[in-house]
Amino acid sequence: MSGKPGYHGVILNINLSTGTSEKVAIPPADLDRFVGGQGLGMKILWDRLKKPGINPLSPENPLIFMPGPFSGFPVPSSSRTCVVTKSPITSPMKSDYRHASTVSYSNMGGFFGPEIRFAGYDGIVITGKAKELSYIVIDDDKVEIREGKRFKGMRTDVFDKVFLDALGDRRFKTVYIGPAGENLVPYASILHTAGRAAGRGGMGCVMGSKNLKAIAVKGSGQPGVADHQRFLAALEKARLALYGTAYAKSWAEQGTARAIVGNSNAGTEAVRNYREGTFPEADRIGGDAARRDVWVRDIACYCCPLACKKSGITKGKYGGIVHDGPEYETGVMLGSNLLISDMPGLLKAITVIDDLGLDQISTGNVIGFLMEAYEKGMIDRKFLDGIDLKWGSVDATLAMIEKIAARDGIGALAGKGVRTLSRQIGKGSEKFAIQVKGLELAAHNIQANQPRGLSYVTASRGACHMSGDNIAMQNRRAMLDSTGMCFFPTFEPALEEPMLAMLSAITGHEYDKAEFEKTGERIFNLEKLFNYREGFRRADDRLPDRFFEDAFTIGPKKGSVLDRSKFDTMLSQYYKDRGWDSETTKPKKAKLQELGLDSI
Amino acid sequence: MKNGDKSHEWTSLTRRGFIKGVGLGGGAMVLLGQFGVHGLAWALSGDPELKMVLVDYNKCTGCRTCETACSAENWPVVISGRKLPGLGNPRFANIRVHSFSPEVDVPSVCAMCSDTPCVKACPVDPDVKTNRRALYRDQVTHTIHNDPARCIGCQSCAKACATQRTGVITPNSTTGKPERMCTLCGGDPQCVKRCPFGAISSVEVRSDRKFYGLGPDKIAAELAKGWYGTAEFGGMK
Ligand code: SF4
Ligand code: SF4
Ligand code: SF4
Repeated sequence: MSGKPGYHGVILNINLSTGTSEKVAIPPADLDRFVGGQGLGMKILWDRLKKPGINPLSPENPLIFMPGPFSGFPVPSSSRTCVVTKSPITSPMKSDYRHASTVSYSNMGGFFGPEIRFAGYDGIVITGKAKELSYIVIDDDKVEIREGKRFKGMRTDVFDKVFLDALGDRRFKTVYIGPAGENLVPYASILHTAGRAAGRGGMGCVMGSKNLKAIAVKGSGQPGVADHQRFLAALEKARLALYGTAYAKSWAEQGTARAIVGNSNAGTEAVRNYREGTFPEADRIGGDAARRDVWVRDIACYCCPLACKKSGITKGKYGGIVHDGPEYETGVMLGSNLLISDMPGLLKAITVIDDLGLDQISTGNVIGFLMEAYEKGMIDRKFLDGIDLKWGSVDATLAMIEKIAARDGIGALAGKGVRTLSRQIGKGSEKFAIQVKGLELAAHNIQANQPRGLSYVTASRGACHMSGDNIAMQNRRAMLDSTGMCFFPTFEPALEEPMLAMLSAITGHEYDKAEFEKTGERIFNLEKLFNYREGFRRADDRLPDRFFEDAFTIGPKKGSVLDRSKFDTMLSQYYKDRGWDSETTKPKKAKLQELGLDSI
Repeated sequence: MKNGDKSHEWTSLTRRGFIKGVGLGGGAMVLLGQFGVHGLAWALSGDPELKMVLVDYNKCTGCRTCETACSAENWPVVISGRKLPGLGNPRFANIRVHSFSPEVDVPSVCAMCSDTPCVKACPVDPDVKTNRRALYRDQVTHTIHNDPARCIGCQSCAKACATQRTGVITPNSTTGKPERMCTLCGGDPQCVKRCPFGAISSVEVRSDRKFYGLGPDKIAAELAKGWYGTAEFGGMK
């Protein structure tokens, strides 16, 4: 529509309040400046929310599903969908606005993003609120909002099947929420293919607030590219960089689960609510054990030569089908962080969390916090509705997961996250409430890894392990998550050049390494502008005290703890290098001018 | 082939490897699990006479690269007078990956059935010169082709294939004429070449082999029973 190669130039706008949909042209300059995925999603959010403090659960807050310029082409690992919205979880220490919160984005693999592009769109933006539980069916140009009350309360595993049957065509690609999203648990997730999720940052909660159970997409089109021949040549090189390599095979062999043992040995794993960095029983829940006892298949996302996802089956009391896992994040958050080393029990917890539609990371973090508070006697069994939430207890963990998703009793409070819980409990529990800006930390522990601490405190969505440990990494990843390509293959250095060549050949905009990172920097700074406008300041870029006070007592990094003044110095330097005011973190005019964000 | 060599090497399945896989399984059911029923005929065949595409379901990851490779090859584009592979829109692929829950993926491709129920179902009288109906089998490659000039778009072939075999034939949405019969890419099957996991092979079979291609639902049910001990599925209706 815009005539710009590599894109349809079109966003599909759906308003659930009015029951209408329309195609909207994307300003061509935005495509060059914000690309797609996380970046273009951020720009759309910025354009739609013209003032700070808008309630993330109000009909006004857009829920944005973004593929990128790679999506829909046979580019290796071009599988990602970035979901962007205003966070229902985060908040600043102080703000003039009651509903102040950060931007939120969550990135998932699978087949949904490419299918959005096949259907003829560069993104889907959903606003409004349906009168009753509904779902959306998009088949190329045809867009229908349908009533879906019969799906109310349905868990995701069964919904995935029932929904496809109802649609009558398995070529539809679907995303949906579980009971947790319907119940507006702040850290509810959006699921895709029963085992993939846009987990972090409350995407399922925002979807639930719109009374939207699911979206199905199917399409038959594809955008054109700027330079067909150059694209094909670069694609060939990209495939050769990955196909059959030891690097690709190592992903197929263990996926991220390899790091469960690796990071434990390195002292960088979340163990016992981040009290330790090493889990002596890590090998019982690691990749080798899973390969031996659980996994039956390696599964890949769209056009991916890595196949890091695994499905399998377990036996015994907790036995059943495993859609995915253990992965590093799920295996650690529900495993070592809770001192659970029973593999079937661990996988049962992971499966149930996906089934209910919760974020694996926040859920594991919250339960770890409660286990510690319970052990320390800050809360009793009555506070926990009778659940004996001891370290390592699978049954207690499963009971707590159900409570959280249902927002039942203690689950209602626990569903609000560790910051709210610790404020309620008091007694110094803030020290081990492991969150930044209200979002729980992920499975990477930091007493022995200060740079990852920087990633957690400066990430735009609250504690995020993926943001990047320094400025260059942050800029690069903000850009990468805007293209539709997965992060994992990009550790292979030989992919770099063909990746840039493909992006240039598709879009007609020339990307070298510098332009790639500059665009990422622009995206990261727009996120910062959004957060700053909401009231986030330096005081919000703050780690819990545990990391400065509780040195590891076991493992190879025994004795490690962060040094507060060193950490502060590092942060000051970071803001300076970013071109932000180091007192307030406000991006300076010169930086905004340099990035073309001064008049935004 | 210079550039393709590396990927091709990694992805191609040797005849010995195939027989070994069959031998390990030791039965038709396991064989089905790995290669589809029609693999049996090949394993037992004597003199190889022609080539066809076989999928190893145990290796397939459901990545759908084969769909894009097939589409790119069979729907080329012409740019300044030169014919080049297309952009690989999977919608037009002759091989289709069917995905189920729990996680089973079945790439489904024309089984080149030796008794061709699709051709037999074609109501158009054989041409006097060529003896071909509107749907016919190429005597050399054994691939199935449609003659759009004579085809009346009645979809009888699609029905026959869907009820008796793989169901790959998809009538064109406007003309009703059959599409998606495997062309073997004129001798260099792109799905085989591009599969990142070596799950597809181009193998030699006897032309008089006895085998029947199964639909993806049936194959998926068998695979799920073997892998997860269940045949409870989504997306079957
Ligand atoms: S390319 Fe190979 S692994 Fe991927 S879906 Fe096709 S057969 Fe399966
Ligand atoms: S699979 Fe279908 S199209 Fe192919 S030969 Fe058999 S019946 Fe004909
Ligand atoms: S051999 Fe060629 S036409 Fe046949 S399925 Fe493979 S890619 Fe498609």
